[in-house]
Amino acid sequence: MDKLGQEWVSAAVDGEVDKQMMAELAADTDSHEQWRDYHIIGDAMRGELPKVLDLDLSANIAAAIENEPTIIAPKAAPQTDVATKKLANVIPMFKQFGQYAIAASVALVAVVGVQNYNQSPEIDASPLPVLNTRPLIGSASPVSLQTGPVQQNQSFTNDQMMEQRHRINTYIQDHMLQQRLNNSDKIEDNSDLVPVPVNH
Amino acid sequence: MRLIWLALIVLALPSSAEELSAKAWLENMSLALKGQEFKMSLIQLQADHIRPLVYIHGKVEQQEVAFLEHLNGPPKNAVRVGDTVTFIEHDQPAYSVQANRIQGVLPPAFAGDISVLEAGYQFVLGGRSRLAGRPSQLVRIIPNDENRYGYQVWLDMDTYLPLRYDMLNLDKQLLEQILVVELIVLEEAPAILHEAYKQDWPAIMAQPTREKGDNWQFKWLPQGFKILVKDNHRLIGSHESVEYIALSDGLANISVYVARAGDTAMPEELMTRNGLSLATERVGNAEVVAVGKVPAETLTRIAKSITIE
Repeated sequence: MDKLGQEWVSAAVDGEVDKQMMAELAADTDSHEQWRDYHIIGDAMRGELPKVLDLDLSANIAAAIENEPTIIAPKAAPQTDVATKKLANVIPMFKQFGQYAIAASVALVAVVGVQNYNQSPEIDASPLPVLNTRPLIGSASPVSLQTGPVQQNQSFTNDQMMEQRHRINTYIQDHMLQQRLNNSDKIEDNSDLVPVPVNH
Repeated sequence: MRLIWLALIVLALPSSAEELSAKAWLENMSLALKGQEFKMSLIQLQADHIRPLVYIHGKVEQQEVAFLEHLNGPPKNAVRVGDTVTFIEHDQPAYSVQANRIQGVLPPAFAGDISVLEAGYQFVLGGRSRLAGRPSQLVRIIPNDENRYGYQVWLDMDTYLPLRYDMLNLDKQLLEQILVVELIVLEEAPAILHEAYKQDWPAIMAQPTREKGDNWQFKWLPQGFKILVKDNHRLIGSHESVEYIALSDGLANISVYVARAGDTAMPEELMTRNGLSLATERVGNAEVVAVGKVPAETLTRIAKSITIE
């Protein structure tokens, strides 16, 4: 490839040759490489180079196809019995009794205020005011409820169901309240004493 | 040969000096929770609940002051100054109770006497891992029997403060988790604690003396459980009068109620996904209800074993 030929290709890249010369150039496969190089140089000068300079795309693709390993579809792994085991874990938990979800709205420990039950006249006679608090954290959220077989046999009416939930909540609430009240170490020391614990 | 022995001894000594027993780790945690000044951002995971919280602890004029804030939802805070805990909640006037820990974040027992827990649990050192960006040591609190749940706690290797707390059921499934996402060790009590200290909080709720309950006894209690309180009070919602007995092994608390059986039967066993269970035993026209964060079977057994003297 002489210098003159290079100049000629360069001119062709810049579009300074006519159609006939272009056709000649197309026929001259030796110059193709140069043609490409000049274009890349031009792109570089204009800052239009792609991030990855793929000098010979077609050749690369051909090579990639050549190298591609034959894909043998692997057999689907046999189902391990992990999942079934998990399931088996769950079932005994519910003891196969009837279970039903308590609506969260009902089951959530209700909002209660600090009240003194002395306010209600019927209880006036009793000297047992109740401290009414709601636990700061750890509201109970019963999710599943296993009922005994006895109850399974009875068909509960809605009212009874509501009543039962209410009673459950009452107990859970009171339990949580007691946690707050019995939270002092000092109680432990007084457990067997007749006088009432320090914090009450 | 002698050289090899010497080398071995030299190698072994510094490491054994650092090795703490699992109990020593927990005791250090107890001291740290009581004595250090820090701010923790944490999340509490319970079944389908996730609650972000901030806990600040410090000392003002030799008194422990702590502040707990719920970050999501309506404002719900608690302040502790010394032995008085005041709950400030949006839906009721603030009120104070006497308690030496704010109940609800970590088990109060973690800041108490660790040896109390030895009756029911064993302490075993686990591996080390990284939590809240800090290296931490796992300590497992393994129940001695199947009557209670297990716990594991990861302690910061610098400060011994807990960075993660798990409560696991007997199948090692997670019931509750507290995860510290950020721990800031403070040089001195922050302004908010000084303010809390100065503030006039409501007086401790005057509670009339509890009526002494009947002499209820248990034929069987799981190892380590003790009767804390016996009394006679009315339930919150229903005004129902109940005989009440509080049991605890230090970590797990159980409430046992004896009441006249209601018209509606209570479920024999009930479990919630955060570990709280309830069991009912009907004796004649009375009903024994046990509630607590222990397996329901334990509660059933306890409820069946109650007697009166």
